[in-house]
Amino acid sequence: MRELVMRALEAAQTAGASYADARVVHTTEEHLSARNGLVDGIRAAESIGIGIRVIADGAWGFSATSILDAEEIVRTARQAVAIAKASALTLHAPIELSALGAYEDKWTGPCGIDPFTVSLEEKLGVLMAADAALRAEPAVKVSKGELDFLHVDKYFASTLGSYIEQSYWESGAGITAYAIADGEVLPRSYPNSHGGQAVQGGWETILALDLPGNAVRVAEEAAALVSAAACPATETTVIIDGSQIALQVHESVGHPTELDRVLGDEAAFAGTSFLTLGDLDTLRYGSEYVTITSDATIPGSLGTFAYDDEGVPAQRDFIITEGLFTGFQSSRESAPAIGRTSNGCMRADGWNRIPLVRMTTLSLEPGDWALADLIADTDDGIYFETNNSWSIDDRRLNFQFACEIGWEIKNGELGRMIKSPNYTGITPQFWNSCDAVCSRDHWQVWGLPNCGKGEPMQVAHVAHGAAPARFRNVQVGVGR
Amino acid sequence: MTLSPQQARDLARRAVELTHADAAEALVSSEDGALTRFADNRIHQNVAEKDTGVSVRAVVGKRVGVASTNRLDDASLAACCDRAVAAARIAPEDPDFPGLPAPMPVQTPDRVDPSLAAFDAGARARAAAAIIEQSAERGFTAAGTVSATEYVVAVANSLGVDVGMGVSTVRSTVLSMNPAGGSGWASHLSGAADDFSPEALGDEAALIASRSEDAGSLDPGTYTVVLAPEAVSDVLDFMGYLGFGAKAFSEGTSFLTGKLGEMLLSPLVTIADDALTAETLGLTFDFEGMPKQRTVLVEGGVAREPVTDSYWAARLGLRNSGHALPAPNSYGPMPMNLEISAGDVRVEDMIASVERGVYVTRFHYVNVEDPVKAVLTGMTRDGTFMIENGKLTRPVKNLRFTQSAVEALNAVEAVGARRMLIGPEEGGANLAPALLLSKWEFTGQTR
Repeated sequence: MRELVMRALEAAQTAGASYADARVVHTTEEHLSARNGLVDGIRAAESIGIGIRVIADGAWGFSATSILDAEEIVRTARQAVAIAKASALTLHAPIELSALGAYEDKWTGPCGIDPFTVSLEEKLGVLMAADAALRAEPAVKVSKGELDFLHVDKYFASTLGSYIEQSYWESGAGITAYAIADGEVLPRSYPNSHGGQAVQGGWETILALDLPGNAVRVAEEAAALVSAAACPATETTVIIDGSQIALQVHESVGHPTELDRVLGDEAAFAGTSFLTLGDLDTLRYGSEYVTITSDATIPGSLGTFAYDDEGVPAQRDFIITEGLFTGFQSSRESAPAIGRTSNGCMRADGWNRIPLVRMTTLSLEPGDWALADLIADTDDGIYFETNNSWSIDDRRLNFQFACEIGWEIKNGELGRMIKSPNYTGITPQFWNSCDAVCSRDHWQVWGLPNCGKGEPMQVAHVAHGAAPARFRNVQVGVGR
Repeated sequence: MTLSPQQARDLARRAVELTHADAAEALVSSEDGALTRFADNRIHQNVAEKDTGVSVRAVVGKRVGVASTNRLDDASLAACCDRAVAAARIAPEDPDFPGLPAPMPVQTPDRVDPSLAAFDAGARARAAAAIIEQSAERGFTAAGTVSATEYVVAVANSLGVDVGMGVSTVRSTVLSMNPAGGSGWASHLSGAADDFSPEALGDEAALIASRSEDAGSLDPGTYTVVLAPEAVSDVLDFMGYLGFGAKAFSEGTSFLTGKLGEMLLSPLVTIADDALTAETLGLTFDFEGMPKQRTVLVEGGVAREPVTDSYWAARLGLRNSGHALPAPNSYGPMPMNLEISAGDVRVEDMIASVERGVYVTRFHYVNVEDPVKAVLTGMTRDGTFMIENGKLTRPVKNLRFTQSAVEALNAVEAVGARRMLIGPEEGGANLAPALLLSKWEFTGQTR
C-alpha cells in the first residue's frame, strides 16, 4: 500500500499540487441482527479505495476511487488537482495550514479476541439467547438485537513526509424490547439505545456486556412502561444518566465547539454555532462543575487513534474548564483562526470522504458524587435514563431530548416510573444549571457510531465519557 | 464513468453464477459523483468519487446470508459470494421466507441526461460562483452545494430477474445569510444540468434572507401555518419511514395499522408513491429487481395500503408493490418516491387567507417522539415569518415544534398547485406542494 499512496502523492505534485495527502482505507464489516425470534440479517461487507486530497492554486480538491491500479491512481490524482484549480475560481486567500511535523509510525488498537475469527454460530447464539429472553415477557411485542463488528486498515502519506499505518477493531451490541399497547410504542434498551454500546476492542467486549443476562430486566421494564405515568409538563430538577449525558454533551457541546462550524463551513447543512471566536477564554459555558475534554488517547474508545486523518498526533485538550470555554476542536486549516495549531480532530468516513473536524472522545469529566447520594440530596425531580429521541437547532442552542424511561424523585428517593419523559433547554443556560456530577465510579465512555456531518454525508464513530449529572430548573414534559 | 446498465447487469449475473446456493441474487451499484461545496462566499470543499459495489444474497432453503464487496477481481468476487453462502448455511430458518421473487416486466426509462457530461468541476465552480454572486452583491454570505451524480443499479437473480438502469441527478442547495440576522434557503433537484439556473436559485435564497433580518419573538402555541414544499417534504419523509411500510404496519407501530379504509387525514390529502411519473427521479425497480408500482397510500384522506416487498407481500397476503430496500433490511419496504397530489391553491392565496399564522420555509433536525402518532419535534429554519391579516409581515426567530404529522395532515385546509421535487434520497425523491394547516403546535423558540 505504501507504494500506492506514494504514487498518488507523486502524481498530484506532478500535476501541480503544492500539498497532497493520500489515504488507502480497507474496511471489513459484519452485521448480525435478530428480531422477534428470527435472524433479521447477516451481512458481511468489504470496501477498499484511495482518497487523494490536494491543494493547488491555493484551493482544495479531492478525488477518490475504488480501483487500485497505478493508472487509475494517477488519473484520480490529476482529477483532484483539476478540481482544486476549479475551486480557485472563488478563492479569497490561499489555504494555509497550521504547522505539522513528519511522522513515520504504525499503530494498532486493542483487540482481545478478533471478532472476525469467532464463528457466526457463537455470535448468533448470544443474539438469539438475548432475543428469547426479551420475548419471554408477554408485553414485549417486538424484540430486537444486533451485533456489529468493524476492522479498519488505514495507510496515510502526505507531502510533508509522513507515512502512517493504523489498524483497529470495533465491536458493538445492543438489545431493545418494545412494548406496544394502546397506540403507544415503548422501547427499553440495553446497554444503550440506537444500536447499543460500541467500543474499540474485540469479541471479549461483547461477552462482557452479558446481553442475555440483562434481557430479562429490560423486558420487565418495557412491560412496566405500559402502565407508567406520563411525564408532567413542568419545570423541575433533573438527574440524567450517563448514556443520555453522553448525547447531551455530543449535541450541545461537541458540535458547537467544532471550529469549522464556527467558521461557517457547515452552515448550509448541519448548521453553524452560537459560539464566536471571541468567546474563547471568555464565555461561561457552564457551571464550575462542568469540565469537558477532547481526548483521542483513551484506550478502547471509538474516538481513539494515534494520528488523525491529516497526520496530526492524537491529543487531549480542554474544551470547557470548570465552566469556562477554553478550546475548540480544530484542524490544520481552521486552527490558525484562533492562533493555535490543530488539536487533531480531522477524521474521514472512509477512503471516499475528506476529513472534517469531528469529535474524538468528548467527555464530561467526573465529579465527586455517588449517584445514591445525589438522588438522596434531591427533594423533587425526575431521573432520566436512555435516549429515545434528539433534536437541536442549527446554532446548537435550543434542544429537546426524549428518553425511554424516567422515575420521579420525591424527598430523596426514586418513586413512580415515568414513560417517554422529555426535556428541553437552551445550551449555555442548561450547562450553567448543572450543580453536581457523579464520580469516576459512575463514569464510562459511551460509543456513538452514528454522528452525521458533511456533504456528501459522513458518519463518524465518536465517543463520550460521562457520569450522571444534576441540572436545576429544566422544562420537562414538552407536548405531553 | 460508472458502469453502463448492461455492464452492471453482466456483473450481477456473474455474481449470481458464482454463488453456489439454492438461489442467489446480486445487486450492483455503480456511482460517479461530484459535489462542490461553498461557504462564506467561497468554494471550500470540492470532491469526486467513483465506486462500484456488489451485494450478494444467498439462499439455502429458508436461510439467507448477504455479503458485499467493491473488489471486483474474480477471486474477490468469488470470496464475497462464498461469504454470503457461508452466512446462509448458518442462519436459522425463517419459515416465512417466500423465496426470491420471479421476474416481472419492468419499465426502465433512460434517466441519464447527456448534459451531465459537460457539468464538470469547472462548470460546477462557475455555478457556485453565480449563486454566491447573488448573495455577495447584497452584502450577504452564501453557503451550499452544487452536485452532479450518475448512478447505475442492476439486479439479477437465479430465477431470471435481470434488470438495470442509470439515473443522473443535479442538485443544488443555497443558504444565504444576512449579516443583520436571518437567512434564506432555496434548492434545486433535477435529472439534467441544462435546466438548472444557479442565478435564479441564488436570488431566491438571498431574497428570503433580505426579508429575514431583525427576527422577533413569538410565544409558543398553536398556530395556523403555511408550510413551504421543503417543510412538507420533511413531514412526508417521516411518514414514509414511520408508517407507510408493510413491516411497521404489521408490527402495529404504524399510524396505518387498523385504519385501512378509514378517514385518517384531511379529504384534501392524497399521498402516493410513484416512481414512474416523468416528474420524478430514481429507479423504476426496487432492490429485488421488482417493478415499482404506483401505490396510493392515502386517498382523499382515507388510508388505503402500505408499500410492500416480496417478503412482506407474501407474509401479509398483499400484492408486491416493489419497494424493497437492499438486503438485509431491518426497516422493511419503504416508499422512495412519495408525492402529495397537487391542489389548486397558490401559496400567495394561502397566505392571503390567514388572519394570524406562521409561514415556514423549512425544518431542521426533525426527530421522532412517538412513532404511532408520528409525533415529531424539530426546528424551523432559514425563513420563518408571521402572517398577519393575509400578509407576510415580520420574520420570527426559529421555532421548535412538537407535533403529530398525522394530526397535522388531518388539519390541511389547502394544497398548493405547484409541487417541488425534493431529494436527496438516492433512488428517489419527493414531490411536495405547499400546505395550509389550521393547527400546528410550536413548543419553544431559540434565542
